[in-house]
Amino acid sequence: MELILFFSISLFFAATILIMRNKLFTQGVSLLFAVSLIGLTIHGWMHLDETSIHFFTFTHEGMLLLSALALISLPTFYHGFRYTHDSSVKHYNIYHVSMIALMTFMTGAYLSNSMTMLWVFVEATTLSVAALIYHDRTQHSLEATWKYVFICSVGISIAYVGILLLGFIYGRYDAASLTFDEFSLLVSQANPIYLKVAFVFVLVGFSTKMGLFPMHSVTIDAHSVAPAPVSALISTTLMNVGFLAIFRVFSLFSSTEILPFMQHSLVLTGILSLLIAAGYMLKAYHIKRMFAYSSLEMMGLVAIALGSGKSGYYAAILLVLMHSLVKSSIFFHMGQFKKVNHSYELKQVGNYIKNYSAGGLLLLCCVVFILAIPPSGIFISEILIFKSLIAQQHWITFVVTALLLTAVIYALLTRVLHILFSDPAEPQIEQQDPVRVKAIETVPQFILLIIVAVLCFYQPPFLVDAIDASIAALPN
Amino acid sequence: MEFLIVAFAATLIYLSAAHRFRVFARFMGVQGVLIFGIAFLELNEMATANLILVVAETLLFKGIIVPFMLFYIIRRTQVFKVHTQAMPSFYILILNAISLIVSVIIAYTLQNPFINMVFMTVALYALLSGLIIIVTHKLIISHLIGFLIIENAVFLFTIALGNEMPALINIAMLLDIFVGVLIMGFFGMRLKPDTGELTQLKD
Repeated sequence: MELILFFSISLFFAATILIMRNKLFTQGVSLLFAVSLIGLTIHGWMHLDETSIHFFTFTHEGMLLLSALALISLPTFYHGFRYTHDSSVKHYNIYHVSMIALMTFMTGAYLSNSMTMLWVFVEATTLSVAALIYHDRTQHSLEATWKYVFICSVGISIAYVGILLLGFIYGRYDAASLTFDEFSLLVSQANPIYLKVAFVFVLVGFSTKMGLFPMHSVTIDAHSVAPAPVSALISTTLMNVGFLAIFRVFSLFSSTEILPFMQHSLVLTGILSLLIAAGYMLKAYHIKRMFAYSSLEMMGLVAIALGSGKSGYYAAILLVLMHSLVKSSIFFHMGQFKKVNHSYELKQVGNYIKNYSAGGLLLLCCVVFILAIPPSGIFISEILIFKSLIAQQHWITFVVTALLLTAVIYALLTRVLHILFSDPAEPQIEQQDPVRVKAIETVPQFILLIIVAVLCFYQPPFLVDAIDASIAALPN
Repeated sequence: MEFLIVAFAATLIYLSAAHRFRVFARFMGVQGVLIFGIAFLELNEMATANLILVVAETLLFKGIIVPFMLFYIIRRTQVFKVHTQAMPSFYILILNAISLIVSVIIAYTLQNPFINMVFMTVALYALLSGLIIIVTHKLIISHLIGFLIIENAVFLFTIALGNEMPALINIAMLLDIFVGVLIMGFFGMRLKPDTGELTQLKD
């Protein structure tokens, strides 16, 4: 019932924004929406494992990801207000309606308890993200939007074939609308070949959303032109939607004999993602694309963690949560970065710490955190992944992962240190005065980073319990 | 029934060898009508409400609206043939034949009592054909055609599930159509079908 209320409120808010055509009103309604999202999250934690209107369940893994979304919803709206400040009322309202729609669809995806419903919400996120990427209405944004919609649609169609294959497995006409719990009771009867084919289709299809190899290119292009707060969502909570879809199918099939096949597929996908990320980061020329490849690297690590088993499962979920907070901080900051430097081109920017000290300090902290250097909570995740790889004696994966991560660290640090402390390699032809950006704009990002730092030293029992419950169905 | 499915497979061969977009548009319409026929005969015990949805999805959308919009885009953009740098038809046909063989092998591997083998084979073949067109062609319209073929493949998979298509699948199909309309109606008309404009974002 509460979910019907939430969806109704979202629809009402979106409709009123479009009708009223007033920026101040839009801001107020957007903040109210964020509050209702936080309210739903609190309600969900109080009603764990309860099913709502048949298609939705407040599962532990769903609630963890919804909490990450709720946590970054307020800063997303705040930075959205800043980013769209000079937009026309029409474009301003379209942006915020699309943002409300995107967050609503992601909420639906996190809480869906059947594969088909999850798929419907994932498809719906594509439409709302398309409107957000196209916000600047430039030729670049048009190209990025086109590629995003097109490749996501192809990927999601492929994922749908995977879901339909589940229907073939049992010969049950209602298979596509079975819940995950109902499926888990039937999965042991299934032909392993079907399960393998279905898993491959789902992995490839939903990799468009998770940003994994082989469909990673779509999110990279979207990042380079999307408004900074939109990039923050695409790179974190939207990727989490793709992760959840793959994780749910992985959990579902993990009790069958195809577990090793799934693990090998995930490790291979993860290694290839890391390889591509490291390769492109070494020749990066655009800071947002570089951080987009960093997201590819992180998702590659998540896939490797899932594939490595044991403590890797815990590490995968922890990494997804930490990455959401750190990477959203980075992309929120990109809006301020562009204002100060007038460019995302790495060669055209420099002396950032002089031009905007608070921003420079924040960028440095963000890079330290995303590279898993303590006190980053990501450090704990990566230690657990390596521990799992060693425990499972996956030596080749261990060595390759370590080498590729070294390349990533080198690429990121050299470029960011250059931006912070050196003169621009190729100064912009038209010199523009740096825009004064208030230091207070960095506060939301610092708060998110502080949360990640605290989680490095202390993970509250409710978080540990929730992650343990999320992976309880997975074999040791 | 089997005649319609084989005819659908034959359109895929024509589509892979076609050069002119008018041919593409016509054959997309033919595919829509064939899918309508297949759905109508296969889903004979369907409830009236579902039947209306299927008619809307196939005959109205796939059979009439899609070809109409493709013709509109062709007229508006004045692009009549595939890109000169696209892979020659001969090689695409060879790839297409390989995809047919692969589809047969996969369908036989996945054989079980609940599946109509012919459906499965043609649906897989359509899926691979769509992907081949997307990968080997260069213009946006060609990519649209490839995507629409994939959508048809998905629909064939859905029909293969049987008589009692649940409402959820219909919702999913409608959403697919919505995306199709979005792509064709908005981007298909705004973007010039020149690949040069789609290569500005790269590393």
